[in-house]
Amino acid sequence: MRGTAMEELQADLKRAVITADEPLAIDAARQVVAQGGDLLAAVEQGLSAGMAVVGEDFEKGERFLPELVSAAETFSVAMTVLEPEIGKAGGSLKRSGVALVGTVAGDVHSIGKDIFAMLLRVRGFQVHDLGVDVRMGDFVEKADELDADLIAMSALLTTTMPSQREVIDTLCELGVRDKYVVMVGGGPVFQPWAEQIGADGYADTAEEGAELAVRLVAEKRAIRSPFEPPRGSS
Amino acid sequence: MISFLEVIDRAMSGRYCKEQDFTMKALVPKLAEVVNKYGITYDAGTPVPCDDDLADRVFQAGFELYRDVGLYCPDSQRVMKFTEGELLQALKDCPPETILGEGKEQRILVPRRPDCETPPWCWLGALGAPVSTEELYSSIMEAYATCLPLADSITAPSLASFNGRAVRTGTPLEVIAAMRVTGLGKDALRRGNRPGLPIMNSIATAGSDVAKIAGSSFGLNAWDAWIVGHTAEFKVGYQRLNEIAWVLGAGGGLVAECAPILGGYCGGPEGVAVANVAYLLSGIIAMQADALLTFPIHFNLGCTTPRQAIWAKSVSVQAMTRNSHLPVFVDHYAAHGPMTEMFFYENAADVISSVVSGGHITATGSAKGTHVDHFTPTEPRFSGEVAHGSAGMTREEANQVVGRLLERYESTLVHASAGQTYEECWDIQRKQPKPEYAELYEKVTGELAGLGVRLA
Repeated sequence: MRGTAMEELQADLKRAVITADEPLAIDAARQVVAQGGDLLAAVEQGLSAGMAVVGEDFEKGERFLPELVSAAETFSVAMTVLEPEIGKAGGSLKRSGVALVGTVAGDVHSIGKDIFAMLLRVRGFQVHDLGVDVRMGDFVEKADELDADLIAMSALLTTTMPSQREVIDTLCELGVRDKYVVMVGGGPVFQPWAEQIGADGYADTAEEGAELAVRLVAEKRAIRSPFEPPRGSS
Repeated sequence: MISFLEVIDRAMSGRYCKEQDFTMKALVPKLAEVVNKYGITYDAGTPVPCDDDLADRVFQAGFELYRDVGLYCPDSQRVMKFTEGELLQALKDCPPETILGEGKEQRILVPRRPDCETPPWCWLGALGAPVSTEELYSSIMEAYATCLPLADSITAPSLASFNGRAVRTGTPLEVIAAMRVTGLGKDALRRGNRPGLPIMNSIATAGSDVAKIAGSSFGLNAWDAWIVGHTAEFKVGYQRLNEIAWVLGAGGGLVAECAPILGGYCGGPEGVAVANVAYLLSGIIAMQADALLTFPIHFNLGCTTPRQAIWAKSVSVQAMTRNSHLPVFVDHYAAHGPMTEMFFYENAADVISSVVSGGHITATGSAKGTHVDHFTPTEPRFSGEVAHGSAGMTREEANQVVGRLLERYESTLVHASAGQTYEECWDIQRKQPKPEYAELYEKVTGELAGLGVRLA
């Protein structure tokens, strides 16, 4: 495949994500496959580059959550075409890690959690969103099942913050606390609380939190084993 | 107006819809459509708009949004929809006034209009911010009764712990805490010689229906009032419907709460303004409320004082108060906390823009209302004085004043200071601010007067 043609398809994929144009995303992804193009470059230079633009605009206040969600959905649609082909070719995508996010038990607030989940996707995490009012056991069991790198818990009420502590305490009780990076967030959550309950990370804003997640997971992986394959690779 | 039983029927038998489809396939596209159709455009240079036609278009857009999208019940996964005729009838039938309080504290809550001279109802206190102990809860509630002469009702803090145990939503600890704070609050108001002052955010400590209902039977009266909140965006589950069922049965005042999130699913200021109007209709028909309480809030900054939030609040409250007679309260959350200069600039801009737009005030959330014990009676006292001083100010004049205030504080919101705690900057025994805080208050209020802020 000619370099110029591949660059044009990458540009189409990028534009498809930015404008949330699913038909364009599918068409461009199919053409990359049909023409034997570089699949990983299509993802990284096309789809991921588009997500990065949308993420930057969101952080500048120029785009909002619906556009972030639509861009992520377009990304996912294109990946249904590209990902199986990458697997067949024996390739693997660069992932920041596997993230488990949710709002803790007793709390039904979702939007802050949704924004954080989207910003993790923008940064290359494979995100599993458990939703709202998530029981302690669901965090613990799902993290084990998915071999997650990151557990991120949101609480918007002072009276639901103790549920964040309960999850961390249970991970300690089971002897698996060190397997995960644990982050906490939400309106009433601040750094002293994060330290008090033994969380690894907290940030004032969703953007800073997502950046911190990338750094903490990368550091954790480096400590765990420099030779261990990254979780979430496909 | 349709009955509450009819509302329940629709929650249980409306159209089935996945939760994310309701948000992304129904709400988001319809909101974008009506913002465009009615020509709603944000103007950063006019934080307090004075365009009646714009306000009326925002109302029409909000009406069409709610008529076509409805309200989602996550428990049944069904959409509650109301026809245009039902909504118009509900607008006619909603209560124009409500009597709250008892004895010397009894007041009539009436609707206001943009630019009107009627003093706003001042619902003052902590806005449910967390307080660390029962002792401080009692102390601050007594101080509110003593130090807030402009208060028409009280907004209590939320108790974070008792007997060395953190209160947790959905557990028996929450039920016990809810029962305890009811008695503590009423006793404190008696000690402050204002036993008839209504507590209108009953019960801030209770996040669940069972705690709210259990706590209410430990000393609240029908002349207090209960807040029942929507979940953002446009969701009401069975717990909230349970609370409404109880409040209606008890004959209590009901305040429907909403907080459209700036930067969230409503998008920017235009979408938030339109959604806010739709929430008014939801409050009237689905919650059968006596008043609305709204606070468009920034998703990241966690306060109501950014320029875009003030515009969205102002134009939507104008839309509501020009086109319905349901009283509208506005919550005020400042990013900065007690003992900071910037708190006063933020809160003045926020309160002035609410009052000239036709709103009543609920104040004050200092330090975003999220830092434990970061509130004193000084902040709501200030809010009340600004609110009464602003009644009768025109929107044009307010726009100038708010513009000058925004220039002073908006760049400081990202790294706002939570300030000091109640114990640090107040003399709790004597019930007065410590000298440093009293001096700061005098200094800042003098500067604000120079910027055009009027204090009662």
